[in-house]
Amino acid sequence: MSNLFGALNIAASGMTAERLRMDVTSDNLANADSTTGANGQPYQRQEVVLQARGQNFADVLGNAQAGVQVAGIVGDPAPGRQVYDPSSPDANAQGYVTMPNVNTVTEMTDLITESRSYEADTQALQTAKQLYLKTLDLLR
Amino acid sequence: MGLFDLTDTVLQRGLEGASLRQQVLSNNLANANTAGFKRSDVDFESSLASALDSSDPTQSLNSLAFAPQTDSATTMTLDGNNVDTDTEMANLTSNAVEYETLAAIAQQRFATLKAAMGS
Repeated sequence: MSNLFGALNIAASGMTAERLRMDVTSDNLANADSTTGANGQPYQRQEVVLQARGQNFADVLGNAQAGVQVAGIVGDPAPGRQVYDPSSPDANAQGYVTMPNVNTVTEMTDLITESRSYEADTQALQTAKQLYLKTLDLLR
Repeated sequence: MGLFDLTDTVLQRGLEGASLRQQVLSNNLANANTAGFKRSDVDFESSLASALDSSDPTQSLNSLAFAPQTDSATTMTLDGNNVDTDTEMANLTSNAVEYETLAAIAQQRFATLKAAMGS
C-alpha cells in the first residue's frame, strides 16, 4: 500500500524532469551565439526526451514506479543559419559563419511551458501532502 | 454486529479510491510533456456504487479492485499527448475535497466510537 507516498513520488519525478528541461533550455539560450565548441563545430541545440515510467498505470501500480523519466538528451539535427561575417575566425572561405541552430523565441516559449509544468507538479505534491496530513488527523 | 459497520467499509474503500485517483492524476501531470502519453483516470465512485447495489455489499466492497482506465482515443497536441493541465488541476482539487470529506466523516465516526467507549 504505497498510495499517497506514490503520489508524492510521481509529482517529484515530474519536477525532476521539468527542472532538467529548464537546465537544457538555459544551456541552449546561453550558447545561442557559440559558433565553435570543443569539436570545432557550432553549438547544436539540445532537447530532452521524456518517457512515461512503466507501460501503463495498472501495471506499475503495485510498486509505485509510475511517473515520468528522462529517456535521453538528443541534439537537434536542424542546420544552423549562415551569417556573413568575414572577420570572424570561424568564417568559411566565402566569409560565412554557421550559427548554432538555436531560435531564442522557441527556447523562451519552451521555458514558459517547463516552468508552468513544474508549478503544476508542485501543486500536485502540495495536494498529496495535504491529504496525507488529513489522514493523520484520523488518529487524533 | 461488529464494531465497524458497512458505512466504515465504504469510507475506507472510498479513501483508498480517492488516494489511487490522486496518484493517477499526479501521473498525468508528471507526463504532461511526454510525447505519445495518454491520460488515465479512475472512476472509483461508480465502482463503489455498483458494489453497494449488489446482493452482499460488504463482500463486494471488500473484494472491490479499482482499475484505472486509459483514454487512448483523444489527442491534444501534435506529439500525441492528451493531457490538459487545467482539467487535471481541476480534477486534482475536486478529488482532494472528496478525500477530505471522507476523512472528516471517518474522523467523526471514530470520535463517536471513542465517546461510546467512554474515553
